[in-house]
Amino acid sequence: MQDYSWIIQNKELLKLIYSVIIILICFVIVLKTNRLFKLSLHQGIRYFRNAFFFYGIAFFLRYIVGSKLIFNSISSTQNYFIIGILFEFFLIMAGFFLLYSLIWRKIEGVGKKEDSSLINSKILLFYIMSFIISYLDFLWKAYFFMFLSQILIFVLASVISYLNYKNLGNKRLFLKFYFIAMLLSLTAWILNALLSLYFNWNQGVLINIYLINILIFGLFLYGVVKFTKRK
Amino acid sequence: MARKRERLEVIRDILNSIRNNREIKPTRLLYSSNLSPQMFKDYVDELIKKNFVVLETTPKGKKFFRLKKKGNDFLEEYKIIENFVENFGL
Repeated sequence: MQDYSWIIQNKELLKLIYSVIIILICFVIVLKTNRLFKLSLHQGIRYFRNAFFFYGIAFFLRYIVGSKLIFNSISSTQNYFIIGILFEFFLIMAGFFLLYSLIWRKIEGVGKKEDSSLINSKILLFYIMSFIISYLDFLWKAYFFMFLSQILIFVLASVISYLNYKNLGNKRLFLKFYFIAMLLSLTAWILNALLSLYFNWNQGVLINIYLINILIFGLFLYGVVKFTKRK
Repeated sequence: MARKRERLEVIRDILNSIRNNREIKPTRLLYSSNLSPQMFKDYVDELIKKNFVVLETTPKGKKFFRLKKKGNDFLEEYKIIENFVENFGL
């Protein structure tokens, strides 16, 4: 009980530490994968990099710009809403990019490539869907559509990463960790939804979701650092 | 039936052909790349645009491809890229 009150008392500080860890991880992943993309022009690497770029922006907006600790003066209710919508938009886009990095081959083919990975016809569809989802949540003053979209995205990503693991898992070590990361992401989003719908954002459970998220991002960081290391 | 080569593999093969020959004429490179003339042109144009290779002309007007530093870097790091792509299922 004492631990729980400590969490409540220091929740803004904990959020700040949590976001800084995630943003730093995203920064390293974007930097390392961008180098690989520049060299290879591989579309999958490009979309994977974009996913973490958008995760980084989302966390920066929500927890740094929106933090009551740092920007107390601009954290009015109106600003908080705008930040909330932008956070949702970038977070949903990041999820789409991560999923798309796993399926782009089936859609674009291996020989063709788009000039821009941020502005093209397929990605435009993601922007529109993300905008609609964020706007609906804004109207409903809830996160229902975001949770629903993310749970669907990570169910699909879990199935695809499981198939990848099943097909090549004995040769490619990280496919197992990728599948675990997808399952953890799905778990985190389901917990988030339950927390919002039934537990009124219980801070004790929320901390556990933060820890799961750090573990997921940490897994990706481990993989990116390990497999981009020059011999 | 042989599987279709991935884009990265095609690029690796083109760059390897140039590196193995130091300099190579466009026609010879086309034959060694195993691509259709149109596909070959698309790939080569992209490689020139991205500074991986350069098309040079001798005083006698003969043309040949030469590898640039970026192309060499790609070949050196190809294994890393391939490993990364396969380990992340991209």
